[in-house]
Amino acid sequence: MAIPTPELKKFEKDVQQCMKCGFCAYFCPVYRQDQMEKSLARGKNQLVRGILSGRQELTQGIVDIMNKCLLCKTCVYFCPAKARIDRAVTAARADLVAAKGLPLAKRFVFHYILPNRRLFGLFLKVASWFQHILPGSGRFRHLPEFLYALGRGRHIPSIADTFLRQQLPEVLSPPAGVPVKARAAFFSGCAMEFAFPEKAVALVRHLTSLGVEVTFDKAQGCCGAAVYMSGDFETGRKMALKNVEALENYDFIITGCATCSSGLKEYAQYLARDEEEKKRFERFASKVRMYSEFLSDELGVPKEGYKLREAFRGKKVTWHDPCHLSRHQEIRSQPRDVLKSLEGIAYVEMPNADACCGLGGSFSIHYYDLSKKIADEKVQGILATGADVVATACPGCIIQIRDALMRHRKDIEVVHIADLMEPGRGALRVPPARTKVTAGKA
Amino acid sequence: MVSADVLESLREIVGAENVLDSPEDLDTYAYDATSTWFHRPDVVVMATSTEQVADVVKLANEKKIPLTPRGGGSNVSGGSIPIRGGIVLGLVKMNRILSVDADNRTVTCECGVILQDLNLELAKSKLFFPPDPQSFLSATVGGMVAENSGGPAGVKYGVVKNYVLGLKVVLPTGEIVHFGGTTMKNVVGYDLALLITGSEGTLGVVCEATMKVMTLPPAKQTIIAVFDDLGDAGRNVGRILESGILPAKIELLDNWVIRSIEKIQPMGLPVEAGALLMFEVDGSPDVVEKETQGVVDLCSKHGAHEVKVASDPAEAMKYWKARSAGFAAVFGAAPTVLAEDVTVPRSRIPDFIERVDEICKKDGLEYTVIGHAGDGNLHPSVLTDIMDEAHFNKAKAAVDRIIESAVEFGGVLSGEHGIGLEKQKFLRRAVDEKVIDLMKQIKAVFDPNNIMNPGKIWES
Repeated sequence: MAIPTPELKKFEKDVQQCMKCGFCAYFCPVYRQDQMEKSLARGKNQLVRGILSGRQELTQGIVDIMNKCLLCKTCVYFCPAKARIDRAVTAARADLVAAKGLPLAKRFVFHYILPNRRLFGLFLKVASWFQHILPGSGRFRHLPEFLYALGRGRHIPSIADTFLRQQLPEVLSPPAGVPVKARAAFFSGCAMEFAFPEKAVALVRHLTSLGVEVTFDKAQGCCGAAVYMSGDFETGRKMALKNVEALENYDFIITGCATCSSGLKEYAQYLARDEEEKKRFERFASKVRMYSEFLSDELGVPKEGYKLREAFRGKKVTWHDPCHLSRHQEIRSQPRDVLKSLEGIAYVEMPNADACCGLGGSFSIHYYDLSKKIADEKVQGILATGADVVATACPGCIIQIRDALMRHRKDIEVVHIADLMEPGRGALRVPPARTKVTAGKA
Repeated sequence: MVSADVLESLREIVGAENVLDSPEDLDTYAYDATSTWFHRPDVVVMATSTEQVADVVKLANEKKIPLTPRGGGSNVSGGSIPIRGGIVLGLVKMNRILSVDADNRTVTCECGVILQDLNLELAKSKLFFPPDPQSFLSATVGGMVAENSGGPAGVKYGVVKNYVLGLKVVLPTGEIVHFGGTTMKNVVGYDLALLITGSEGTLGVVCEATMKVMTLPPAKQTIIAVFDDLGDAGRNVGRILESGILPAKIELLDNWVIRSIEKIQPMGLPVEAGALLMFEVDGSPDVVEKETQGVVDLCSKHGAHEVKVASDPAEAMKYWKARSAGFAAVFGAAPTVLAEDVTVPRSRIPDFIERVDEICKKDGLEYTVIGHAGDGNLHPSVLTDIMDEAHFNKAKAAVDRIIESAVEFGGVLSGEHGIGLEKQKFLRRAVDEKVIDLMKQIKAVFDPNNIMNPGKIWES
């Protein structure tokens, strides 16, 4: 029985653009490691064309190939014909999931855990009790397969003792004497909520000190990016609707996670059931802002407006572009402007700043060795800068790069850009979280 | 065609991870950059050394299994298509640059080195490899030698054959031989390295090449001349060359290409222009200044309604990127693109373009002309759709007439892309029967079992 391909059909035009020039081979982080055509956009494109023309069927083998993709969009960025193969890859995954369902562990997590915030939190809470039993580096050993490989030999952050929603009140106003310049919802995302709440706190404190009234609306859930980019459009849409319903009436929706902001902005591309819903998702997307995007483009914070947290004074800082920030949202100059305005650090540009870190969500689970090799190239770029600190804006990248630096035994800090900001006197007081993890180090 | 025994032997030669035979793998080695050809091999073998190549070829020859060498797979004539099935021998993992001899200005490298990587390495010694096929991000040295590639710089710098000094080749019968040497002047017996160059992978597998390189010019400048009339643009090419200026590149873009580039990657190109001529002059700074002025003066005096000199290297890069984007714009514009590669004498460029226009307009076909006007090598492309049989047949017929016209004007049917599969039916029109016969005899000497990229250049 041939697997129907309604999602792939939507992106037929993107697939037709490819003229097989092979330029993507020069840039694709996966192909550069194993040099097989099927690892490359050109190869994947041909397979999709074969399916669309009826020359062959969508098979598990082909979907395995589609899963061997970071969705980093490096190929799209350099493609002279702008063939957006990332959309076809996502769509192929979706068609297979619609026909055959997800593997058991993923189904368990995607259907039952991620969409339900409180259950997710409880699940992680229980898991976090076990982490204290394990040797102190915070490695997980006994989790469902979905999280298992993340734990396999990796250095990953501990689950925080106190989650973000237990720390932050609903509405956070600017400190006394600071006029309200804008009102926004804060979207935390799972990593910041459960593993890095202190980074979210730093971010929100900084925003309020600049005059933003931030609402941490607890009706929000997981952005769903991991879910729908794996092909589970049905669950993804449910999660999308939950977030859209909760937050669509705020002026802005600000987040500190590149994957979340890209995930929120791309609902319209993949998950809308009809034209009306598409318009609703597009309207929602138009309000989403990444933290540095908001600072530069909306608040127009002047150079003097940024104050460095003293712990970082005198450090050399370099910036890593998360794929979901640079190539998915075209946000490149804003974080650099912010970093260059920070007096007290020396900013140095990384030669391969926008090279993918190699995490790619579940790519690093299925292709852990490849993922490590790709991360090794990122480490070479970091070492070339001589930097003490790598700043970025994606918890996924933070995890991956920290893991890679530790494997190379390099004592270089990996931080979120918000960690560098000193919100200033009178800024919002948030009771210090009782986490084992201190800001900036795993 | 490829038995389990043979598969096992192949795995022993290159390692199991370098033998690919899943249906998806085979599909992804069935194509190259041509629009219409698709044929699966029976197995894909990725070699990592000349010795491995020799062992694989020996096996193929013994078992009479067709073998198609493959580099970047970016050729546009069908050279990489395994049209008879069998083995695709992937060479991209043989990508070491073995030595750069800055004193003697030569480089020796393996066949899988990508041109861009070669130039990046050469630049460290202030050298460069002049032939610049626009597929430089995927074209490999072996493929460039096999196809005798050219590019925009051909007008001043020539093509790959002008730079080949020596080759290490695995013959179709499996022996490893050295052709040529490492010196520029070398007359010792027949020049078999030159025979291999442009032989489209039918006489052996190029494993290593020693090539001449040049010193990077100290200065460069880019000039854009905008014309209302394509013919005017074409005529200026001859004028500039006659005046004694030899630009490194003279590229012609017609209105269609300009508009398409702007659609994909807006760069502020003049979308109302009939044609653009893009010049690059290079050499020592004072010569570059004089030649730039010469180009500006001549174009302004003869029909250009605007002439722009790039104000800095960034702007110049922008224009050349646009030229590269033009290639993509053409191929992305229709499901099937019949891109031709005819070369006519320079003086006939304007007439030829007019003839192309006549031929296509007659059948209501959309076409575009982009080309290396400096050496008369033009790429008229007819846009069609192989799924629309009637339209496709009309397009093919138009292409036939275009090629006939090129020959009529004293030109040739392929300047740089090769015959491969795409142009086989025209071979007899362009080359004498006796000459084709001699070629076939030479082929038989090298490849008695006809296993090496069979089915290319002529039907066999």
